[in-house]
Amino acid sequence: MDFGTLLHTISSITPDRPWGIDIPNYFWFTGSSAAAFIISSFAHVFGMKEYKPIAGFSLLLAFVLLVAAPMNLIDDLRQPGRIINFFFYGWENFPTSPMKWGVLLLIAYPLLILVEALVLYRPYFWFSKGMVRSQEQIEKDHHLGVVLGAIGIPLALSVHGYTGYILGAVHAIPLFHTPLMPILFLASAMVSGTGLLIILLPIFQKFFTDFKRVDMAMMQRLARLLSWFIVIDLVIRFFWLTFAITFNGEEKYALKLFFGENFWEVLIVDYVICLLVPMIIGFTNYFARSFKWVLFAGILSAIGVWIFRWNTVIGGQSIGKTTPFLLEYHPHIVGFDSIVSVLSNWSLLIALIALVMVIFPWDKEMANYYVTKEER
Amino acid sequence: MDEKELQQSRRGFVKKTTALIGAAVLTAPSANAISLTNPGRERGDARYIGQEGKRFGMVIDLRKCVGCQACTSACKSENRVPKEKFRTYVPEYELGTYPNVHKAFLPQLCNHCAEPSCVSVCPTGATFARKDGIVVVDSEVCWGCGYCINACPYDKRYFNPITNVADKCTLCAHRVDHGLLPACVESCVGGARVFGDFNDPHSAVSKLLSSFPTTVLKPASGTKPRVFYIALSGEIQGLPYSPNVLDDMARKIDGMPTTREWSTKGE
Ligand code: SF4
Ligand code: SF4
Ligand code: SF4
Repeated sequence: MDFGTLLHTISSITPDRPWGIDIPNYFWFTGSSAAAFIISSFAHVFGMKEYKPIAGFSLLLAFVLLVAAPMNLIDDLRQPGRIINFFFYGWENFPTSPMKWGVLLLIAYPLLILVEALVLYRPYFWFSKGMVRSQEQIEKDHHLGVVLGAIGIPLALSVHGYTGYILGAVHAIPLFHTPLMPILFLASAMVSGTGLLIILLPIFQKFFTDFKRVDMAMMQRLARLLSWFIVIDLVIRFFWLTFAITFNGEEKYALKLFFGENFWEVLIVDYVICLLVPMIIGFTNYFARSFKWVLFAGILSAIGVWIFRWNTVIGGQSIGKTTPFLLEYHPHIVGFDSIVSVLSNWSLLIALIALVMVIFPWDKEMANYYVTKEER
Repeated sequence: MDEKELQQSRRGFVKKTTALIGAAVLTAPSANAISLTNPGRERGDARYIGQEGKRFGMVIDLRKCVGCQACTSACKSENRVPKEKFRTYVPEYELGTYPNVHKAFLPQLCNHCAEPSCVSVCPTGATFARKDGIVVVDSEVCWGCGYCINACPYDKRYFNPITNVADKCTLCAHRVDHGLLPACVESCVGGARVFGDFNDPHSAVSKLLSSFPTTVLKPASGTKPRVFYIALSGEIQGLPYSPNVLDDMARKIDGMPTTREWSTKGE
């Protein structure tokens, strides 16, 4: 006898759900930041020459994304004025409250990137003041850059991995509760970060440099990289979903209900359109050589990961804990935690990108790889 | 100044400033700013410590519950629980298929768990268990992150729209500390709700625990609830998922707008 179908709740209450649209956006920002940092480390730490031209650019992007990200968190708080309590009280919960880890990570990580960027661009700042750094100093800087980058990699992984912990630790919500959550978040973060680079790089190369050319070889390289990240992402999701829905304990009923109700949104929109399509574009030479297709793949995958964050954060909370069915979420248009606040956060990001790109001589540095000495 | 001197004086400046900032950061906490817990607990305030040596909780005898919601309304007025929020309530279920049907009532409140997952995730230490097991929120420390609301497997927390922080059942600690019963117990028409100290073998709750088979809601949650039920039907113990829910539906059928951010999805 299937009791589930015999049960009717005839009166209950609508329970509260705390996290709104700001939170998926926050996760998207920190994730893309971690990814941009790691791509910059390809050149800085692992010495992969082919990524050298964009290493500085993506380092700055990582910084900006992480400065803008916490604004989402603050906006989601009901008492943002009490932010100081986060730093002062409740330290006994440090081992069991992943949110608390943010105190250290959200301070250490942006600081580290900033220092790394300052070291990287030091010769250019000096140059603009009419000073030249000696060869010895430049080598020292380089060494320091490698060390900072090497410390930065685990820090970047942690700064996004911890958001996966925040969700994974919530055993009350079946969609959150998996040890795979941090790694799942990291894998999809690599996808969105690469996607974002694919969108921003041509804009900046074309309009804000002296050489005014889009590096198509780099675009193709990023498209290929994107495809591989999507493969990794899909493989991890495969393990997650097969275990969570098929071989799970009690949680599988909630997940079946959830994925059953949201089948098309999840499978068609997120998996097929936003992951499989960009993956095919990146792997097919015909498409990967075309600027428009690569850009399209970048946009799709960046959106796809945003949808994944949304489906996870909002979808997870939609599962009833004392009520038998799913809840529905309608974000407010204006006010705290609303559509307008997310749009404002994006505007802040764009403003910060503009500011940082004006301050740092990224274009001079990038030009080194595209323009010969004589041309300069 | 030549270049080298300039550089050195700059270095000196950086070093001095760093030392100053460092000193400021290190001396601030000595003024008791940084705390493992929260200021109220550090002060040893009686409201935060509770009654040491006791372990409060409840036994609910479902055979006696008539679904009158007297407890629900007593709680709302005693604790001035805001509109559309509840600390305790009694959902109603229809079990079985016609003609073999019966109704079940399930009074629910915060379980004041022995291993509360709401407490362990709180990043500000605003929510904690008193020494007598009552789980409370300090409404002046909570910064409203909502982590505890998601972490409670029993949906027993909400944002209080007036104080704008997490709020929940306090087991009427303000009454209990003055020797009174919680409002829901006091008003229980059927005598279903029994409150007491589990550490005292002669208390009514201890006697009920030792004379009847009891169980808790969702035992798999691992939070070790301290609200026990007598005669809890297996069909509703796990608060199961099903596509049938009439909650909020009247509102939708009547074409009323869904004003709340979150609402139950009607089929
Ligand atoms: S029922 Fe929920 S709110 Fe109450 S103590 Fe347990 S976990 Fe915390
Ligand atoms: S909402 Fe308040 S009580 Fe709950 S976890 Fe956040 S700070 Fe703690
Ligand atoms: S007051 Fe007692 S009998 Fe009435 S609904 Fe509440 S628990 Fe049941």
